[in-house]
Amino acid sequence: MEFLAAALAVGLGALGAGIGNGLIVSKTVEGISRQPELRGTLQTTMFIGVGIVEVVPIIGVVIGFLLYFGA
Amino acid sequence: MVGLIVACVIVFVLARLAVRNLSVDNPSRLQNFMEWVVEFVHNTVASAMPLHMAKKFVALGMTIIMFIFVSNLLGLPFGIVTEVAEDHHGPVTFLGFELISAEEVEEAHKEGKHLSIAWWKSPTADLSVTAGLAITVIVLVHYLGITRNTKHYFKHYIEPYAIFLPINILKELSKPLTLALRLFANIFAGEVLISTILMLSWVGIPLMAVWQGFSIFVGAIQAFLFTILTMVYISQAAVHEEKH
Repeated sequence: MEFLAAALAVGLGALGAGIGNGLIVSKTVEGISRQPELRGTLQTTMFIGVGIVEVVPIIGVVIGFLLYFGA
Repeated sequence: MVGLIVACVIVFVLARLAVRNLSVDNPSRLQNFMEWVVEFVHNTVASAMPLHMAKKFVALGMTIIMFIFVSNLLGLPFGIVTEVAEDHHGPVTFLGFELISAEEVEEAHKEGKHLSIAWWKSPTADLSVTAGLAITVIVLVHYLGITRNTKHYFKHYIEPYAIFLPINILKELSKPLTLALRLFANIFAGEVLISTILMLSWVGIPLMAVWQGFSIFVGAIQAFLFTILTMVYISQAAVHEEKH
């Protein structure tokens, strides 16, 4: 049962992270294509956005590890 | 604990070595590198708060980013883990200090679990270290907000409407939580994956090389992210003069 819980935690977290990061980077690429001179600023903001969005899925991965190795 | 002290010593030695024989027209490589770090941190801080305040927080930013980056890198080359033997009875001692009590050893062996002691890992792979950093930073943010900006700081809890009070309180509570957990979870998950790839023995060597490179990248990004979020929180609390 714990293995199922770990798989669910990691899987759903990965789904959220994938969709979120995809949206962020696609908007960044769009912004760079519109204004190439803002490339540095937009890249920095993209990394900050990815860091903020990935917090909860990564917490989910740690919970998955706890369940998996604690089983 | 050992890793923490090693990280502090490395950062201190790096900083001291970089300022020996400072020279304007013939800088050494380390001095060049450190000047680049200072400029990078200064740009980061200046992007978050107005320029006249930025100079005071460059030292804080540099400390945070160098310490977290060095700490993240420490666990990558190797990890030293010892396991308690299956038939070990009694407490686990080291140099006379009792590390694991006898009852815990019995309980773990009864359930068939393995007890292992990690002698060397990244300091930031421990929740205590990252929580300490996060709590220090958040206490600093609130202290700066209260002393420098008293009226606006207390007023922002009920902005824009009074109904936002629970949301604002939740926001203030979640800042230290996410700061600590983000850094811890990133580095801890990286280390668990390193030990998982090690289980593949020689087949996993190219995968290990790729994963080590990615871990260095993640360590740098997390250090930078912690710094810039600190600066953003400070500017949110302490800088409110640009009212509409």
